[in-house]
Amino acid sequence: MKAELLKRKVKKEFNGWWTISLFGAVVILLPILFIFSSIFQEPNENWFHIRQYLLGNYVANTIILVVLTGVFTSFLGVTLAWLIAAYDFPLKRFFRWGLMLPLAIPTFIAVYTYRTMLGYTGVVQTTLRNHFDYQLKAEWLTISGISGAVFIFTLFLFPYVYMITRAFLESQSTSYIENARLLGRKPLAVFYKVVLPLSRPAIVGGTVLVIYEVLGDYGVTSYLGIHTISTAIFQTWFRMYDVNSAMRLAAWLMVIIAGVFFLEKLLRQRRRYHLSNKSRPLVPVKLRGMAGIAAFLYCGIVFLLGFLIPFVQLIAWAKLTFHKVWDASFFTLFYQTVYVALISTLLILILSVVVANVCRSHSSFSFMISKCVTLGYSIPGPIIAIGVLAVFISLDKWLAPIYSSVGLGEAPLILSLSLVMLIVGYFIRFMATGFNAIEVGFEKVGTKYTEASRMLGLGVTKTFLKVDLPLIKGSLISGFIVTFVEICKELPLALLLRPFNFETLATKTYQYANDEQIHEASISSLLIIAISILSVIIFQMIGKRGKQ
Amino acid sequence: MSIVEIEGLTFSFSRKEIPIINNFSFSMEKGEVVGILGQSGSGKSTLLRLISGLEMPMKGTIKIAGTTVVSEGVFIHPEERGVGMVFQDYALFPHMTVKDNILFGLSRLPRKQRKSRVDEMLELVQMESFEKRYPHELSGGQQQRIALARALAPKPNILLMDEPFSNLDADLKESIREELGLILKKADMTCIMVTHDRKDVEAICDYSIVVGQSNVPNDLNGDKIHTMK
Amino acid sequence: MKLSKLFKPLLVSAALTVGLAGCGSTDESKSKGEEEKSKTAENQEVNIYTARHYEVDDAIYKKFTEETGIEVNVIKGEAEELIERIKREGESTEADLFVTVDGGVLANAKQNDILQPVTSDIINKNVPENLRDTDNNWIGLATRARIIAYSKDRVSPEELSTYEDLTSEKWNGKLLVRSSTSLYNQSLLASFIELNGEEKAEQWAKGIVNNFARQPDGGDRDQAKAIAAGTGDVAIMNTYYVGLLANSEDPEEVKVADSIGVFFPNQETNGTHVNISGIGLTKYSENAENAVKLIEYMTDVEAQEFLAANNYEFPVNPNAAKPELLESWGEFKMQELNFDTLGEHNQKAIEIFNKTGWK
Repeated sequence: MKAELLKRKVKKEFNGWWTISLFGAVVILLPILFIFSSIFQEPNENWFHIRQYLLGNYVANTIILVVLTGVFTSFLGVTLAWLIAAYDFPLKRFFRWGLMLPLAIPTFIAVYTYRTMLGYTGVVQTTLRNHFDYQLKAEWLTISGISGAVFIFTLFLFPYVYMITRAFLESQSTSYIENARLLGRKPLAVFYKVVLPLSRPAIVGGTVLVIYEVLGDYGVTSYLGIHTISTAIFQTWFRMYDVNSAMRLAAWLMVIIAGVFFLEKLLRQRRRYHLSNKSRPLVPVKLRGMAGIAAFLYCGIVFLLGFLIPFVQLIAWAKLTFHKVWDASFFTLFYQTVYVALISTLLILILSVVVANVCRSHSSFSFMISKCVTLGYSIPGPIIAIGVLAVFISLDKWLAPIYSSVGLGEAPLILSLSLVMLIVGYFIRFMATGFNAIEVGFEKVGTKYTEASRMLGLGVTKTFLKVDLPLIKGSLISGFIVTFVEICKELPLALLLRPFNFETLATKTYQYANDEQIHEASISSLLIIAISILSVIIFQMIGKRGKQ
Repeated sequence: MSIVEIEGLTFSFSRKEIPIINNFSFSMEKGEVVGILGQSGSGKSTLLRLISGLEMPMKGTIKIAGTTVVSEGVFIHPEERGVGMVFQDYALFPHMTVKDNILFGLSRLPRKQRKSRVDEMLELVQMESFEKRYPHELSGGQQQRIALARALAPKPNILLMDEPFSNLDADLKESIREELGLILKKADMTCIMVTHDRKDVEAICDYSIVVGQSNVPNDLNGDKIHTMK
Repeated sequence: MKLSKLFKPLLVSAALTVGLAGCGSTDESKSKGEEEKSKTAENQEVNIYTARHYEVDDAIYKKFTEETGIEVNVIKGEAEELIERIKREGESTEADLFVTVDGGVLANAKQNDILQPVTSDIINKNVPENLRDTDNNWIGLATRARIIAYSKDRVSPEELSTYEDLTSEKWNGKLLVRSSTSLYNQSLLASFIELNGEEKAEQWAKGIVNNFARQPDGGDRDQAKAIAAGTGDVAIMNTYYVGLLANSEDPEEVKVADSIGVFFPNQETNGTHVNISGIGLTKYSENAENAVKLIEYMTDVEAQEFLAANNYEFPVNPNAAKPELLESWGEFKMQELNFDTLGEHNQKAIEIFNKTGWK
């Protein structure tokens, strides 16, 4: 009997879509499994040394960073989201999208910019010295250590919380807020008792994204000399040549990440019932006088610190070194970055759409596939990199007889050396970004249109092309943009998996910053930021058109 | 004293569009139940939002229980107007129990009196045993009654209802209509109800206003006809 | 019906993958087969995996191509991952040359069996024996010394003598040095382990930690700036950074360089710690001839002088002239040890750092 049921289930589920999803999931799982397998080997002496002297420190630092950043970003993100969604004040329209701009500046660029700016030869201290004859003895104004990292992470990652919470507040919370006000409560009570509890899933969702960034970060923490599990993985692997211990550390990290992951899912599950179908936009209340000015100042300061100041500083430095650094190679750099990001994003979107479509059936198969597919986001770049590299080299060796029979010579490294490796790396890492956007899109649309179409006789693929795709257009575009920008900004994978003579803007910037050539790093930084900003602008324009 | 007095109310969504409410005047007495009939987009919901303070008109004045809540130089916020409203989707706070939902609007009441007011309301809508339930555990009709209880609890000057029955199925509508009429009478509540269904108006309202393009005469319970456009 | 549904999406994915693989590999080098077919002058090339990220290197490679017509393809990365990659690629590796900073890394490369001996009289003449691997598996390109920088205002050079002296009371709260995660520091400590033994090395590390003016923060240049700011009086740093500061575009950095003095410690005893950048020929290099040519070029006087003048490292070629700043420092006594030992003791050095709390 059970076999019959199974056969029936397979018949219902099985189609081309499902197969492709499976294929995608396998591609993502393979390197990860490969990595995990090494854990089942005996730990070596070095691991005991790490365990004894270092592990505690690594874990403690990681947790402190995560907790502090989580708290501050939620606070900043939520207060700003509420301010923008519910109130009108001077320049609010500008701030509404302007407050997303800090995301355009990658954290590893922000950290070196601020640190240099506030450092001895930076603009702040030199002005104090030369114009006011004052040498800042204090170390308090420097960006260093954990406090420096938290400052940078908070300022440049809060938009995750801000955007998601604001989107929720602007459309999903209207009825509740209006009711609360009509029931006679003052704005503060409305905020604490209604807005905050209801936005919890949105806040949690945004904060979790921030936490992933912090956990997988290498650029900021290594630059500031903070020892976290992620930097330890790099160190153990690179400095101590101990790939095995690095994997073990990675396992620890993944356990933490899995914990965060499941916590978020748990918190989200309970809230499903409140997704109201009617999303009415919230009508903002005008803030007058002091209140209006205060709101303006709050947003203004955040914008200044999170975008304008570092941006202007980078431009100033770019002016200094432009003649030295700018040449035709920058066009190549730009082109290469965009090229590989574009291909990767397309691939990700295509598979995201396929998998998300499969997942609409909410079966246990699809649940597993969706989990597999989004796994990559929580795994730090270098881990993915080494896994991908190993798999591809094996693949090349395996395919060698085919290569030679086609006349490509003896044992060449076709796949391993090509861009395919980097693209696969990006694919694994950022699949989740595209997938989440599309999944949300599908959830909003629901299954009724699809089902109607199926009942009218169209198959899955036709339905998809004619009905589903147009309906989720908005999610497709937002998913595309977010993924594209993330890839352009990405660092560790690009550093490790790129082929000969292939630099991205991010790797070039990192190289400069690391070699303490801060000024030279500014130009490639600005290009990255330009790409991000352009995407944000396009995003806004499309969003506006969509509303009309 | 009229409970609601509206003079020369004009409203449009943006400057370029034709005002959806144009120079509208109206008044009603305490205890009256007025229906506003019309198709969607005719501005009836907007009228409610203007009365409650969720939108601001371009021109005109509104007085509630003798107090000017909107005029040239005056705008009183929704939380101060003493207006109760039941939305189409009820919007019960999903993270609070039935009891807490009703308690929510009672912050101006001295603490000691709050519990008894909650009990009073639950009795009014005949849902005494549902105190500890969560909104998602209630059926559509039950949610509507709790929404009503919540809106009535602070004893507002006027109750506004926006398509209160549209989310219920036919036979449920019948019985609930009756009940609602009784509840309103029992509470001596002044009420404006927006709906697209004549039967709602027939069952409960003292008279109605028809809104929209055509000047269809209203031959229902009332003798007053006003048009907004 | 099911098969046809499968086909379309599968076809698309397959096409994409093939297309991408094609895109990737057509841009860059061809496979071995093609190379063997066409070894004409136009297609000559050499592939470098380098862990040195200095602009100066790229300029030298360009000059080499101009002179010889041989294309130089460069892949940059971190030393360890490059070694790992060459190792895993094995016989099919595209790398001809491996370039890195730090003798320990060079030794490690040799140990991982990815290098082969270089035979060239020119090279042997250009580079003295002690700046090459004993088996010529790697050839030195330039050196840098790890010296004591001091505040010209507050410290007189008479007060300075040895690395060990930096652990004495008088420098308490006045010493600046970067994090122990820096390979430069690890090799420094490794050299002490080799010359003075583990115990003494650990004592030294402890003493340094005691004298920290602040927790390690920033790179070598930051330590110099901190001296100028008055946070500390002395710092341990590399010589070429001083050169870079003194010739910086930023006038503030030049001021910093002007305010610090350079002292070569241990002149009476073991000598100043010197580390080396080197280049090695990979075991399975396909363009060995071109590779050797490049090494010969880089160790020749012209390239050596160019390197020293732009990056302020010491040339290995004794005939190469040094820029003014380096000349002004004069001759100094170097540590005498086999660079291999820097790699041998690296693990121990890291352990000692961890034990003594040198973050």
